[in-house]
This record gives sequence, structure tokens and C-alpha cells, in this order.
Amino acid sequence: MDKYVNYITILPEAILSLVAFVLMLVDAYTSGQKRRLYAWISLGGFIAAGAAIGWIAVLLATNATAVPASTYMGMLVSDPFRLAFSTIALVVSTLTALAAVAWLDEDSLPAGEFYSLLMFATVGMLLMASAGDLVMIFLGLEILSIATYVLAGYRRRDLRSNEAGLKYYILGSFATAFLLYGMALTYGATRSTNLEAIRVAITSGKVDWSWLLLVGGGMMLVGLCFKISAAPFHVWTPDVYEGAPSVVTGWMSTGPKAAAFAAFLKIYIAVFAVGAPIMGLAGATQKALTIIAITTMIVGNTIAMVQDNVKRMLAYSSIAHAGYALVGVIANDWRSVAFYMLCYGVMNVGAFAVVAAIGKRYDRETMVEDYRGLAWDSPVLSLTFAIFMFSLAGFPMTAGFMGKFLVFKGAWEKGLSMLVIFAVLNSAISVYYYFRPIMTMYFSASADGDRKRTVLGAAAVAALAISVAGVFYLGMLPDGVLKFFALSSK
Amino acid sequence: MTFENTILTLVMFVPLLGALLVALYGRSADGNTDGIKKLAIGISVVTFILSLPLAVLFDGRTAGYQFVARALWIDAAGLRVDYHVGIDGLSIWLVMLTTLITPIALLASYTAIGKRVREYLVLMLILETGMIGVFCALDMFLFYLFWEVMLIPMYLIIGVWGGERRIYAAIKFVLYTMIGSLLMLAAIISLYLMHGKATGFYTFDIPLVTQSISSGMLMIPIDAQRWLFGAFALAFLIKVPLFPFHTWLPDAHVEAPTAGSVILASVLLKMGTYGLMRFNVPMFYEASIQLAPIICVFAVFGIVYGALVAMVQPDFKKLVAYSSVSHLGFCVLGIFSLTSQGMQGSLFQMLAHGLSTGALFLIIGMIYERRHTRQISEFGGLATPMPQFSTLFMITMFASVGLPLLCGFVGEILVLIGTFTSTTLEGAKWFAAVAATAMVWSAVYMLWLYQRVVMGDVTNPENAKLPDLNLREKVVLVPLVVLMIVMGVYPVYFTKRSQPALDAAIQKTAPVLTRKAEAPARKP
Repeated sequence: MDKYVNYITILPEAILSLVAFVLMLVDAYTSGQKRRLYAWISLGGFIAAGAAIGWIAVLLATNATAVPASTYMGMLVSDPFRLAFSTIALVVSTLTALAAVAWLDEDSLPAGEFYSLLMFATVGMLLMASAGDLVMIFLGLEILSIATYVLAGYRRRDLRSNEAGLKYYILGSFATAFLLYGMALTYGATRSTNLEAIRVAITSGKVDWSWLLLVGGGMMLVGLCFKISAAPFHVWTPDVYEGAPSVVTGWMSTGPKAAAFAAFLKIYIAVFAVGAPIMGLAGATQKALTIIAITTMIVGNTIAMVQDNVKRMLAYSSIAHAGYALVGVIANDWRSVAFYMLCYGVMNVGAFAVVAAIGKRYDRETMVEDYRGLAWDSPVLSLTFAIFMFSLAGFPMTAGFMGKFLVFKGAWEKGLSMLVIFAVLNSAISVYYYFRPIMTMYFSASADGDRKRTVLGAAAVAALAISVAGVFYLGMLPDGVLKFFALSSK
Repeated sequence: MTFENTILTLVMFVPLLGALLVALYGRSADGNTDGIKKLAIGISVVTFILSLPLAVLFDGRTAGYQFVARALWIDAAGLRVDYHVGIDGLSIWLVMLTTLITPIALLASYTAIGKRVREYLVLMLILETGMIGVFCALDMFLFYLFWEVMLIPMYLIIGVWGGERRIYAAIKFVLYTMIGSLLMLAAIISLYLMHGKATGFYTFDIPLVTQSISSGMLMIPIDAQRWLFGAFALAFLIKVPLFPFHTWLPDAHVEAPTAGSVILASVLLKMGTYGLMRFNVPMFYEASIQLAPIICVFAVFGIVYGALVAMVQPDFKKLVAYSSVSHLGFCVLGIFSLTSQGMQGSLFQMLAHGLSTGALFLIIGMIYERRHTRQISEFGGLATPMPQFSTLFMITMFASVGLPLLCGFVGEILVLIGTFTSTTLEGAKWFAAVAATAMVWSAVYMLWLYQRVVMGDVTNPENAKLPDLNLREKVVLVPLVVLMIVMGVYPVYFTKRSQPALDAAIQKTAPVLTRKAEAPARKP
């Protein structure tokens, strides 16, 4: 096989796109809403794509010629990085597909479009994970973002959802423009859009106008910080996360965020982390990112404390978690960031699935007050939610702890001890607000006697069971996943 | 798989399995909870019986760890964690205290807990596993895991079954502990990396790291030592709690249900002093010498302050809570005298306080169940209606005060001797002199308390017909009182078994590793 075309390399993306098209056709030619059928089709697509990723992993480890590291003229790169972030995207989207079944029924929303959009968005995430070129990153980001804008506004008749979709669309386009402009300027400075070529150019000092690179780098940074919702580019997050349907919020805060981190890391490794003294780019970025990370953690954690709406609280918590993950980016330690995003994905999708179940139709009951005494009406659901909260707070034996632990350890190893201490103190503060819903659930008697036990469908139960199992698996036996992420491509 | 290396794991995890059993035990139709209560108590008694061989077979002549079990747990991406447990002279009695107190606490709350009984029992049993785990863990990662996980059941016990201000007390308890322990986590990571860089072997193993430090393989510069010492000490001193970090304690104690207070006072507070002895002193010995005067100032201040504040409390429970602040100050002072007697006294005081204060909280629970008030002024002359109660209360009270031939005396006198003779602690004699006054203070507030509650005429007619102790309450109190006397009369049985381990900690000599399992080969 030559280095230009390799069908195995794009198998996961191809499968997902194909199944999504098939799903659209099935949706068009079946009468009425066959929600179960659509869900099964998309699940099949995700599993097939996952199998393709697994196949690529096996080939990478055993047969070097079958999957070249770089294909399509360097557009797609197959390496452990790709495998790691593709896995995250698929895990998060699969869990979301499962959790969405009950929600789409409850709100009587069309399901065919939802699942195909979810799959297209996942294709975008996969492309971002495998991109070897700025153009490819942008392409993946656009495929992902456009689907996400629609998903955020998926409740057409709900004003808050409309607002979320529109706000995300306008602000997101604005940020994407920054990113694109930055890419263009970087291209101008380094004469290439290929990440590896850019890295070589910067390392060897072959940069035409170094100020162009500096401006371009700065603009890319702004665009990326918007996508990962780092302060001060986070203002859109609470509104969008609150307005979007809970299941979609759970997915948005994990999948697209992980993909954005993948893009961030790729650009960081190629452009910002290079040691060459081009107008102090590396040092300046590190300083800027340190300030951004600290601000992000403080803003996320302090504002989350005063939120009375669980969705909004989790939105600010999501900002704080972006701050923790940024610590890993600054340490230039992509493996720990990937592991962190996987952990965060599992627990946050789970948490939002519970929020969706408790919130009922159109997310009416999402205030902390609505959780009053829930533990005594729906004990299992409450315990599940409590487990996710403990994990988000970073208690040992849960995924949240292991993720934070690895990021902090990596950063400490790189000598970022003050940043780690800041992060550690911040996660102590975060305990306060993660415990608030637990307190209302457990420490007060049931609000009214006639509240019924929240009953979940089989799909939602499966999603929650997988999330809980994942929380404990990642928290207690991280070996397997860590080894998978550290897989060396020969 | 020999008896030696499985028994400890068994003791640790039987309560957890028991918690699962209790959770799954069938619900009785009429809401009768006797079945699960008996099941839970049975499990904790089994745990206690299982832990007896630990004490009997414990070899007191060596400083090494015994009943060691070790298995590789996580080994990937530069992270190596072992499941490594074992006990030495420092932890043996604390483990025994835990396994003894848990069934007593469960039995004591047999009637007091009216709602959500099953959840309560499950949490208590999980808590027991966590507490034993903290004392047995020989891997810093494992230690941290138990240390943190144990917070959750205690938080819920205070929050769900506590008094009026329980929500405030519960979250305060968690936040205080979290801030300290997360900094400790940073210190643990740092120590792990330092050890890896210096020796080429990345490990959280406590005996190995301690040995590397004491043998000079891992030299930590004094600046770094001070930081590490500070991070560990903050976590432990908040837990102790040393003045000025003590404010969470009275809140938690007052709001917690009786069994929660008993566990909190008897075992949870000891984790702080245990940590100081296990980590701070042997690992950062130079920093310990340097920083000991500062800590001792707070310890001595806490001793006097706790006693004075206890004196004026109108609330029985709050009085005992502040007396804990005073008693635990003694423990900290003893540790940082860095003398053999001081360490020994501190450990003995930990056990004695566990028994006597645990018993005091049980006593409070008993009269609270009868009168539903804890105001001291509500009582008076209880000796007339409740003579048996008054006798047991008296012995407990004297043990707490430190009357010779009871357990409290031994610990305090050893701490005072240790502090007085300390050569490393500047101004040691002054510290000892001030601390010694506390023996007077504690006599004042305890005797006065006893006088107001038990002696004199029955002033309040409601107290005239209070029933005396029933069989369950006697079963709860008598073992503790007997142990107080045994420990006071024959303390050598306890001290001689812990002496080698304590000496090893302060002599900065390598602890002898007598475990059967091979130490892991150091990677090149």
C-alpha cells in the first residue's frame, strides 16, 4: 500500500459515516418513529467503528506495513494518540446513544436525526483525533461543531434549548474564525499546514516572519480555549449547558471537549511546546496557559458553589475540569490528558444521564431543591448519582481520582509543583458543591409523600451501569487502559 | 496463602463483605429491623474474634512488620502501586481498638437509630474496613485511599442521623479534612518521584521509602523536608485535631449520633497521631527536630485551651469534645518530644483516650436516650436512681482524668517524662511544666461535671425515676471499663510490644524488615 491511500486507516470514520447515511435513509423510508430501531442501528455503527479502532490497534502493534503512521499525504496519522482519543469519542457517544433512548421518548422528539447527527459529530471527533494537518483539524472541528449546534437546540419547541443552540452557534463560529485565522497566519509563517512540517520548521528556525507565528499562535490559542471552555473564554458554557437537553449536555461537555483537547494537544506539541527560541513562543505560551489554567479552575469552582441549578453547577464544574486537564497540557503529557478525558467522559455522561432521568420531560426538575429526599424514594438512582459526584470530586477508587492523580503526577514530574498545589486546593474546594446535591438527596426527608420512584428504561440502565462500572474500573484497575494508551507504534 | 499473610486481609475485608450481606438481607414485612441489627453486630464481633490472633501471635521483640501481605496492584505508565498491608508495634493496638470499638458502637446504637437502619449499619461496617485499612496500609497510595474513602461513611453518618445542625457539621468535617489530605496527596506524589529518581525504583511502599531515607539512599534536602513535613503534618494535625484546626471537632461530635461520636473520638482522631508517627517522624526526622518547637507550642496551648473551654461548657457532649482537644494535645506533644518515653506515652494515651472518651460518649448516649437532653444543668443526683451507671461513669471519669492505676495516668506521665527529658526539643522543660498543669485542669472539669450530674440530691423530678442500666448497656460499658483498669494496672503488656517499633522510628535506624514475602527487586 502506498502512503497516500489506505482504506484501513479511515475505516472507523468510513463505517460511522456510512451507517449514519443508512440511518437517515431508514428514517426517511419508515413510517412513524421507530426509535428503538434507530438506536440499535447507531449502536451497531459505534460498535463496528470501535472494532475498527481495535483492529488498527492490533495492526499498529504487530504489522507495521498494514497501517502506515502517516497517510493521505500526512492528513491522517495513526498513532497511540489517535487510538486513545478515538476510544474516548466512541465511548462517550455510545453511552450518550444509550442514555438518549428514554429522553427522546419522554420529550417525543424525532430520533432518526438525533442519532445520525450524533454519529456525524463522532466522525468529526475521530478525524480530529487522527488529524496530522491543520486543515484536517479544522475539517473535523467543523463537522463536529455543526452537528453540535443542532443537537444543542434539539428541543425545537423549548426556548431555552433554542437559545442554547443559537448562542453556541454564534459564539462558536466566532471562535472558529479565530482558530482559522490563526491557522492561516501560522501557515504564512511556516509555509506548511502539516503539523510535523510546522514542528520541524519551528525547531530549525525556518520561520519567515516570526511575529506572524506569534500572532497566529495567539489566535489559535483563543479559538482552542473557547472550545475547551477555559476562562476567560468560558462565558458561553453555563448558558449553553443549561439550555441544551441534559443528555446532549452530558455529551457536549465530554466528547467535543475531549476532541478539542486532542486538537489543542496536537497544536501544542507542534507549535507551542517546541523549544526553539522563536520570540519566546514556548515560554510565553506556557506562562499564558498557566494563568489561564489557574483562572479556569478558580472561576469554575467558585461560581459552581453558588449555583442552585444542578445543570448549571455541572457546567461550571466542567469549566473547572478543563482547568485540571490544562495542567496536563502544560506539562505536555498527552497520555494523562487522554486518560483524564476518558475518566471525565464516563462520569459526566453518567451524571447527566441521571440529571435527565430526574429532570423528566423538558428538564423541568433540575434545581438542587428538586433532589430533596430523593435517596429515600429512588435509592439506586441516588446512589448512582452520588457515585458520580464522588468521582467528580476526586475521591479515591473512582475514575475522577485516578485521572487527577495521573495529571498531577505528570505535572509534578515536570516541575510544575505550584500549579499542582493550586489544582489540588481547587479540587478540595470543589467537594463543597459536589456534596450539595448529595446532601439534599440524603440529609432531608422526602419532599412530598406522593412522589413516585423514578423508573428507568433498559437502555438508560445499561448506560448508567456501564458508567458506574467504568468509574470503578478506571479508578481501581487503570492498568489496561494505560497500557493501551502507551501502545508503541513500531 | 498462609495464615500469616491472609489474616490481616480477612480482618480488613470481613466488615465490607458483611456490609454487602446487610445490604442484601431480606426486608422483613413488618419493618422489624432486629434481624439486620443482629447480623451487623454479629459481623463486627466476628471481625473482632478474627483480630484476636493478631494480638496473641504478635511478636513484640521486633520492630518489623508482621502479618504482611503483598501483591502488585497497578503497574503501568510509570505508576506502581502495591496492595501491601502489615502491622507493627505502632499499629497493632490501634487495629485492636478499632475492632473492639465497632461492635460496641453498633450495640450502643441498637435502639437509638430509628430510621434508615439498614443504611446506617452498612455505612458503619464500611467505615470499619476503612479504619482498619488506614492502620494496616503499608503503601502510601493505599493509605491515602483508605484515608479518603473513610470520610464518606462518616460524612453520611453525621449528615443523615445527626442532630439539628448536622448538615453544617458534616460538610465542615469533610472540607477541613479534604484540604489537609489533598496537600498530603501532593506530598505523596512528590515523595514517590523523589524516591524514584534517587533509587531508580518508583514505589509508594512505606517501609521501603522509610528504609531508603534512613539508610541515606534517598537524601531529601532540608528545605524539601520542611515542605513535605508540612504537607503531611497539616493533614494529620487537622485530623488530630491540634489547636487551631480543632473547630470542626466540637461541631462534628455534638451533631453526630452516639455511635458516630464514639468512633470519631476513639478511632478517627487517632489516625492523625498515627500518621505523624508513621510518616512525619521517621521520614523527615531533621525537619521534625526543627519544627517540633512550633508544633509543641500549639500542642501545649491546645492542652490548656481545650481544658479551659471544656470547663465552661453547659453541654455534656461539647465538654467531652473539648476534653478530646486537650488529651490529643498530649499525644502530639509526646510525639514531638522525639523520645522513647514520649512516643510510648503518646501511643498509650491514644489507646487510653480511645477507651475512656469512647466510654464517655456512650454514657452521654445512655442518658440522652433517657432524657433527650444533654444540658448538664438538667441533671443532678443521678446516683440515687442509677447506681450502677454512676459507678461505671466514675471509673471512666477517673480514667479520663488520669488517676493512677487507671489507663489515663500511664500515658500522661510517660508523655511528661518524655518531654521533660527530651534533648532535641528546645525549652522542653517549659513545655512539660505547662502541660503538667492540664492534669489539674482535667480533674477540675471532670470532677465538677461528675458532681453536677451524679452527686447531690435529685433536683429535677424527671430524673427521680430514671431506670438503671439494662443488660445491653452493661455489655457495652463493662468491657471498656475492665480494659481501663487492666491497662492502668498492667501497662507493660501493651508497651513492651510496641517499644521496638517506636524506638526504630526515632532512632533513625533502618527498621528491620522481617516480612516473609521478598522485597520487590529494585529495577536497574
